[in-house]
Amino acid sequence: MKILTCPLNGPRPVSEFFYWGEVRPMPDPAAASDDEWADYVFNRNGAPGVKREWWCHTPSNTWFIAERDTEKDLVLKTYFYPGEE
Amino acid sequence: MRLPASSGEWIDRSKPVEFSFEGRTFKGYAGDTVSSALWGADVRVLGRSFKYHRPRGVLSLANHDTNALHQWGDQPNVRADVTPLVAGMTLTAVNTFGGLADDKGRFLGKMARFLPVGFYYKAFHTRKLFPMWERMFRTMTGLGSVDLASAQHTTPKAYDFCDVLVIGAGPSGLSAALAAAAQGADVVVVDENAHAGGSATYQIGNDTSRRRLLAELLAKVAADACIRVVTATYAAGYYKDHWIPLVSADRMLKMRAGSVVVASGAFEQPAVFRNNDLPGIMLASAAQRLMYRYGVKPVSKAVVLVANADGYRAALDLLAQGVSVAAVVDLRPAAGSAEPQAKLLRQAGIEILPGSCIVEALPGADGLCAGARIATLQADGSPSAQIRDIACDGILLSVGWAPAANLLYQAGTRMRFDRAVEQFVPEALPDGVFACGRVNGVHELERRLADGTRAGSHAAASVGFGRASGAALPPEAECPSHPWPIVDHPDGKNFVDFDEDLQFKDFRNAVQEGFDNIELLKRFSTNGMGPSQGKHSNMNGLRILARLTGKEPQQVGTTTARPFYHPVPMAILAGRGFNPERRTPLASRHDALGARWMPAGAWQRPEFYQVAGKERLACIREEVAAVRKGVGLIDVGTLGKLEVIGPQAAEFLERVYTSNYANLKVGMTRYAVMCDESGVVIDDGVVARLAEDHFYFTTTTSGAATVYRELSRLNTLWRLDCGIVNHTGAFAAMNLAGPKSREVLATLTGLDLSAAAFPYLALREGEVAVSGGKIPARLMRVGFVGEWGYEIHVPASMGGALWDALMTAGKAHAIRPFGVEAQRLLRLEKGHIIIGQDTDGLTTPLEVGMGWAVKMTKPFFIGQRSLAAIAKKPHKQQLAGITFPVGYSGAVPLECNLVIDGGDIAGRVTSIAFSPSLERYIGLAFLRPDLAAIGTTVSIRLTDGAMVQAEVSATPFYDPDNLKQKEAA
Amino acid sequence: MPWRLLRFALNKKHPEPRMFTHHEKLKSSYDVVIIGAGGHGLAAAYYLARDHGITNVCVLEKGYIGGGNTGRNTTIIRSNYLTPEGVKFYDESVKLWQDLSTEFDLNLFYANRGHFTLAHTDSALRTMRWRAEVNKHYGINSEVVGPEVVKEAAPMIDLSCAGHSPILGALYHAPGSVARHDAVAWGYGRGADQRGVEIHQQTEVLGIDVQGGKVKGVKTSRGYIATNKVLCAVAGSTPRILKMVDVKTPLYIHPLQAMVSEPVKPWLDPILVSGSLHVYISQSARGELVMGASLDPYELHGTRSTLDFVEGLSTHMLEMFPFLSKVKVMRQWAGMADMTPDFAPIMGMTPVEGFYLDSGWGTWGFKATPVCGKTMSHTLVNDTPHPLITGFSLDRFRNFALTGEKGAASVGH
Repeated sequence: MKILTCPLNGPRPVSEFFYWGEVRPMPDPAAASDDEWADYVFNRNGAPGVKREWWCHTPSNTWFIAERDTEKDLVLKTYFYPGEE
Repeated sequence: MRLPASSGEWIDRSKPVEFSFEGRTFKGYAGDTVSSALWGADVRVLGRSFKYHRPRGVLSLANHDTNALHQWGDQPNVRADVTPLVAGMTLTAVNTFGGLADDKGRFLGKMARFLPVGFYYKAFHTRKLFPMWERMFRTMTGLGSVDLASAQHTTPKAYDFCDVLVIGAGPSGLSAALAAAAQGADVVVVDENAHAGGSATYQIGNDTSRRRLLAELLAKVAADACIRVVTATYAAGYYKDHWIPLVSADRMLKMRAGSVVVASGAFEQPAVFRNNDLPGIMLASAAQRLMYRYGVKPVSKAVVLVANADGYRAALDLLAQGVSVAAVVDLRPAAGSAEPQAKLLRQAGIEILPGSCIVEALPGADGLCAGARIATLQADGSPSAQIRDIACDGILLSVGWAPAANLLYQAGTRMRFDRAVEQFVPEALPDGVFACGRVNGVHELERRLADGTRAGSHAAASVGFGRASGAALPPEAECPSHPWPIVDHPDGKNFVDFDEDLQFKDFRNAVQEGFDNIELLKRFSTNGMGPSQGKHSNMNGLRILARLTGKEPQQVGTTTARPFYHPVPMAILAGRGFNPERRTPLASRHDALGARWMPAGAWQRPEFYQVAGKERLACIREEVAAVRKGVGLIDVGTLGKLEVIGPQAAEFLERVYTSNYANLKVGMTRYAVMCDESGVVIDDGVVARLAEDHFYFTTTTSGAATVYRELSRLNTLWRLDCGIVNHTGAFAAMNLAGPKSREVLATLTGLDLSAAAFPYLALREGEVAVSGGKIPARLMRVGFVGEWGYEIHVPASMGGALWDALMTAGKAHAIRPFGVEAQRLLRLEKGHIIIGQDTDGLTTPLEVGMGWAVKMTKPFFIGQRSLAAIAKKPHKQQLAGITFPVGYSGAVPLECNLVIDGGDIAGRVTSIAFSPSLERYIGLAFLRPDLAAIGTTVSIRLTDGAMVQAEVSATPFYDPDNLKQKEAA
Repeated sequence: MPWRLLRFALNKKHPEPRMFTHHEKLKSSYDVVIIGAGGHGLAAAYYLARDHGITNVCVLEKGYIGGGNTGRNTTIIRSNYLTPEGVKFYDESVKLWQDLSTEFDLNLFYANRGHFTLAHTDSALRTMRWRAEVNKHYGINSEVVGPEVVKEAAPMIDLSCAGHSPILGALYHAPGSVARHDAVAWGYGRGADQRGVEIHQQTEVLGIDVQGGKVKGVKTSRGYIATNKVLCAVAGSTPRILKMVDVKTPLYIHPLQAMVSEPVKPWLDPILVSGSLHVYISQSARGELVMGASLDPYELHGTRSTLDFVEGLSTHMLEMFPFLSKVKVMRQWAGMADMTPDFAPIMGMTPVEGFYLDSGWGTWGFKATPVCGKTMSHTLVNDTPHPLITGFSLDRFRNFALTGEKGAASVGH
């Protein structure tokens, strides 16, 4: 089983984690047109690549960010949101 | 026939084991496998082949003799070649009709001309007749049988860790283990055989120095405290991050290794010639295994077909064990490095025929191997017309090897075809994965030891033990595998895949039909798709395809190797099932009261309480009546119970729920609806304000975990100055409801329960008296069931005491516990929806009459922007109340029966029940908006197709003015 | 023994021509380029040629025919969907399926076994009734049945599921069937090939030439092709192609795994799906038990297998069928499922003129193979969506007009 490193609890088997999806910045709801809003709500960057993703270590309810190559299933790093700006 | 006892054999001749096969009783020894015991008892036909039902004997004795599959009681497809013999075993061959000897399926061999590769795609498909043919196919093709009466077999699972896992306890694996341990690593060596030693236990070549070498190696390993050797256990697969299931007869151990050394060796490969499947024809390694492990004489008189030095050593082993060798046939022009062995053989008077091949094995009258037809090879590699027959009862094949690289492939190793050894070898290994020995293209014994030492050192170093030493070895001096151990024959029956009875011509024909790449060929011909998964057929299949398409093996490539390495019983994979169920602290009370349980998410909840002698519906109606007329008590402890605390707690709730909470007064509660980003309702509950910066709120039972998790994420994202605490399991909660609820509660608390002091929707914190003292409680006047009532939350440990106190205090008013079913009806009378029943995956709050709870004017909530867009479009449907007339005696729709208008679907019933209070059937239904006006008659189609009419009606059906929450004037 | 097999015995040479012509070179232009030689792409090519006479068509495949999800799925065919658009669409597919073997003169092993979706909770049972009612409305044979009917069809099932998820009933769908998945691709491929369509295997699409919002050509690993129409039918690889044309969709990729046992004698006729246990099973003509479960929990563009999957699936299987304890699992594998938020496909036109999409097949695409070919070829030819697929258009997301299929699809096979 794959191992994922929780920034709080260290390396743990992936079965302890919940995957949410890619970090997607929300556009300003007041400024966005209906089309832009629908794009934000539904559309996804489905292509493979290195993505910033929300993951949660469920036993400790710890949310964090993983940078993961979604083709190789390789986690490059994990850190607490928002990370270094 | 058994050989005289020899040192190192795996059987214990002092322990005879009796068993039966095909109705006859046999005797073997402890340590035998089924096949070795049968072969030792001179049984030559161990099973029938898959397609043509040809008799088959021993082929590999290495877990891919998939024609010797037996039924053992409730166990189908027992692999005779590797299954340890057990006293009292009763075995039958699986693929026969009427027994192994008189198998009625034999005629299929005669039909072979009608049944070319993929024949079943080319006929049998008229629509009318196919079902009949399919039944026939299914009966023909299944191997063993499952015993439908047999019970579940549960096995434990184990977990372990090690620094270096070595897969394969042959010479290279043992060397690797020693090297890794010497650098300080904790090493586990796993091997599928009953004993360690690998090929060194049987590839002796009548050379005592080889035996000594193995003994020394094993002694060193045994003496090393850092090495654990696990035998009779196979690595079933390789999974990400060195997670390896080690499977033995009765359990799976999941090993997390720091690094992995794959020393899994190689599968000896058959030569392809006509009748190469006759019983008595086997891999040389199988014959050596029979002799040295099980003391069984493989054949009496052998022809040995060789293309490497291993074959000459095998011939010497045969001689040493008293098997007469009729001839050694070498596919190569000369013996090469095996010249010393060849010399010994010649000295023993054995004829060696270089540059020759076997074109055909000759069956005797009994169908067993009776001779070999030999021809010299011409310059172009084809056999000459001149043939010579040599009588023998067995042919031993030693023409080459295929790496047991399944785990390497699964780990993501890039392999390349190395013509120097005529096999695939690792080209780029993944991090932490190492290979040595035959799987790495290293065959000669001394070199395997060196390769193992290198790999072990590197594996230990990769996890921080010592320094990596040793470099890759120079290429093998002599190729261990023949590039074309295949002889075509006009009459066929030259088998490439023994599982599937595939002959050379099947490949040619498949390629002719366009299935000319390795994956298509596999799928069309089924090469490698049988139980052995290509262990003895993939390599020759690849060679044939390469030749037919004029490509190099490297260009042809291999099919994807997937788990499992060997098949794994489902019981071993399943282990002991774990199905956790949550119960509230009141569960024992419910049981005592006769609760009938129902699942609710991860929880079990009382559906209703069984009263002796009464029907389910009567019980539920009595519970309803108690709440409406007196008082009832329901356990609502399964609701999610969360707190949000901090200066921005109100802001947080403003963002996650659709309604306003900033203006909620301390001590008050408000209904709360949660949407997702697309504006779909996903949860609801009640928010209570305990203090300016402190809220307590509930979620649905099934939503609790996901809502808490998502709110935690949002809080991480927004970084508001507040924190969320999940109290779901920490609090017990019950709802005391009914006109008498206040009187009951008043006897237990000093709180002022007057409507003025504790109004509808208020929250109060106070104490409630229970047996033995007072407990702190949160009380909320909520009205989900439509009566005066109190939802009381207390620490979980005190829940039982509170329940008891309320039940005791309620006795005077005939209090009844009520379950989920009664609550469903009570809330329906009030027109309250249940998320998930009266909503679905696309329902917005606007469609279910919750517009009042959706504050589009506040700055932001999740789903708001989407709802703004959706609000501009016409609704597709509207949830509305429906009623049937009082006294209606016709058939009543069920939930999810459809509303039909003008022949089209115009909605569906989401909730429906008989309301005793209103004395009529009431329900909720999604309706097309033009049908949703109150007073409209809608038609509902019953399950049987009949139509009934209902009237769209206002909700709440019961107490529409909410008078029940007001003090009687 | 059918007479048709006689010719094999009477001929010295194997009397079968190539199913797929080998083409040395790509032409410089085609009327239509189809990306993906899976069932869907080949079916579209087949119907383009057969029904519309368009044969200057090229099917590009980076691997081999039927090597993607066509060859990885668990071959269940049914039409018991929840939404009217879904029911009508899949019903048309089932009707096409039934005659395909005859049409192709190739045995697809289309076996009508009946399909049970088991309900273990009363809310699941409600959803089953909803599906049954919608199905019946459109003339499809589905009904809610009690546990006793399940027991009759599979007498050895443990209706209590080891005591913790009792089967309360099921949605029974008599037309439910299985078929030999590879042969479907071969049949469509051969039929298209015979009509002049070119199938190019081992040919990868590297880019799509879009000028002024219109498709002009396709760059491949074997050179450039000019064309005005491209159909993308590549399931799990769709987002890679979409990137080339800069079309945004909700598609996301999760692996879907399955496993198969060693062959055993037939004991299970129907297809059984348990929504609550998230597992399904059928027995193939070869006697293998073909078993699957729900999607992997996170995005991945790969087909690696996991141990957790086979462990969990085996656990649930034994809860229903404890006597399978000693049956051995032979092989596990995975495919890449292109998922949508509403569990319905995305089909038809896109903002790029001449670029057509047949995607969003998630875990349910195999059964749609024939109807996809039919409707997509119609859409390509007429440049307007076939009436059966208007509900599956990409712009439904922009319009917040999703289909409601998700409600029924806890296990969407």
